[in-house]
Amino acid sequence: MKHIILLLMLLTLVASGCASKDVTVPDDSKKGKGIGTKDRDGKDDVVKIDRDKIREGALSEDQIRAQMASLFKDIHFAYNRHDVAEEEKANLRKIADWLLKNSHVSVLIEGHCDERGSNEYNLALGDQRAQSTKSYLVSLGVPASRLETISFGKEKPGCMEHSEECWLKNRRAHFVSSK
Amino acid sequence: MKNIKTNRLLAAMICLLLAAVLLGLPDRAAARVYIDINSPGLKRLPIAVVDFAGVAEGTEMADIIRSDLDATGLFVFINKNAFIETATAPFNPDNWKPLGIDAVVKGTAEAEADGSLGVVASVYDVVESSNILKKKYSSKKDLIRPLSHKIADDIYEALTGQKSYFSSKIVFIGQDGDRKSLYLMDYDGQRMKKIVSKGDITMKPHWSPDGKKLFYSSLRGNKWGIYELDFDSVSEDKLYSSGTTDLAGDVTQDGNYLLFSSSAKGTPNIYRIHIGSKEVMRMTHSDNIDVSPSASPDGKSIVYVSDKSTVPQLYIMSIDGTDSRRLTFEGNYNTTPEWSRAGDLIVFSGREGGRFHIFTIKPNGTDLKQLTDAGNNEEPSFSPDGRMITFTSDRDGVKGVYVMTASGEGQKRISPRNIRAFGPSWSH
Repeated sequence: MKHIILLLMLLTLVASGCASKDVTVPDDSKKGKGIGTKDRDGKDDVVKIDRDKIREGALSEDQIRAQMASLFKDIHFAYNRHDVAEEEKANLRKIADWLLKNSHVSVLIEGHCDERGSNEYNLALGDQRAQSTKSYLVSLGVPASRLETISFGKEKPGCMEHSEECWLKNRRAHFVSSK
Repeated sequence: MKNIKTNRLLAAMICLLLAAVLLGLPDRAAARVYIDINSPGLKRLPIAVVDFAGVAEGTEMADIIRSDLDATGLFVFINKNAFIETATAPFNPDNWKPLGIDAVVKGTAEAEADGSLGVVASVYDVVESSNILKKKYSSKKDLIRPLSHKIADDIYEALTGQKSYFSSKIVFIGQDGDRKSLYLMDYDGQRMKKIVSKGDITMKPHWSPDGKKLFYSSLRGNKWGIYELDFDSVSEDKLYSSGTTDLAGDVTQDGNYLLFSSSAKGTPNIYRIHIGSKEVMRMTHSDNIDVSPSASPDGKSIVYVSDKSTVPQLYIMSIDGTDSRRLTFEGNYNTTPEWSRAGDLIVFSGREGGRFHIFTIKPNGTDLKQLTDAGNNEEPSFSPDGRMITFTSDRDGVKGVYVMTASGEGQKRISPRNIRAFGPSWSH
């Protein structure tokens, strides 16, 4: 549901951009933060398009959606741990970069746990998983005001089997867009 | 308010017109104790409960009383077909001595002019040939169960000198489909009712000592909050919400404070809130997880869970948050402690051999006992007298609410099998 809201938001942005017939690509490169964007002058950022190009624009938003879906992957945690693992940091850096480029998007970080242990302790643990994920993104420059957290503890498992594989999948910080 | 299913439950609790009138009995203070429940070499008391005379419900009433007394593990019964004396015949000890019976319960009931039920219940001492208890009760006819529990309460108190728990309630979380609701039932699993069906997730509730309120955390619109359900006004109010993860713990024995954990300052720490003024005081100041607080009955100490040793273990601290000491050293995952209202034991759930089991331990850290051995067993809660424990178990497949004695005997499921039931909490 939240993904759909995010999508609609993005599509709305595209639509409003298209209405002026000129699509302006937001230029974050001036802030020196954009990864993979070439330095260009202002003129290059304005692209003349016709009706076919609008359709192409919509498609490229699909690509952006796909990009987001692949970017906002769950962050996984070790058993009974809530510190961000080294191997998850590269993924969080990509998420931070995307959020810095898309400053209109706010994100809710959900902290989840596997099914073992008490509901209460797991809610506290999920809280800390969401918090440490948020802290890491804030340390990379994402404003804290755009990052909300919530803990679901072990109440909303994504994977329902009672196996190590499922438990690993369920020990996660999950992202959904908010507002 | 509107979403709370009021039922007539409180009406039942309050309106149970137990005009109990003592009919000229010997001085209570001088009464003899027939069973010393604290004696280590306890001998079960042979007791006969004769079916009550006068109304059709008399048999049901005697059955309920028998079942209450039986669940304590303090009494032994013989088949009622062996009885010589009927309910209406006068008590004669010679009818009972050959059967090895030491105490006899008899009662007569009659429908009164206003349609209610009048009952006179008596307890006799066979050895001394005396009347230990004679009491008159009056109740609405559809409240046979609470009336019978009340009579059993009085019988138990007359024989043991202790308060019983037969009129107590157990509240729990029931999941029927996706929805989680609060349910209330008698301690024996009867008269179950759904009382609150609100919020995405509701956590284990906690009673006020007077039994008039429940406190629980609930997730509403993606925000955790601690809610207060008032049985008298049949209304629910938000007591506290920091916007982070706020988890209700136990109410202190004086009824003034709710203990809880909150991440209001970043990490889940223990707090207390004055239920009247809503003034909040922080009690732990750690960088680790502190949750699940429960206060000692003298109000001086709090047992709680902390992972300061890297894994969840139980700790005890003073009520002002100082002098924290570790209580559990066995096992690497100990949670959900509750301090007995008798003060002598702490019950908790710990992982042993890959599964969760119920344990008790003395507040000084000695006498650790494992009470369960089948399935996963969690979320224990003491009966008001500390002699029974309710808990959650998945030993039958679907999670359910169970009861057992505080030494682990007589383990049985009391919640129905068609709902997933967990988070039980026994009224004080």
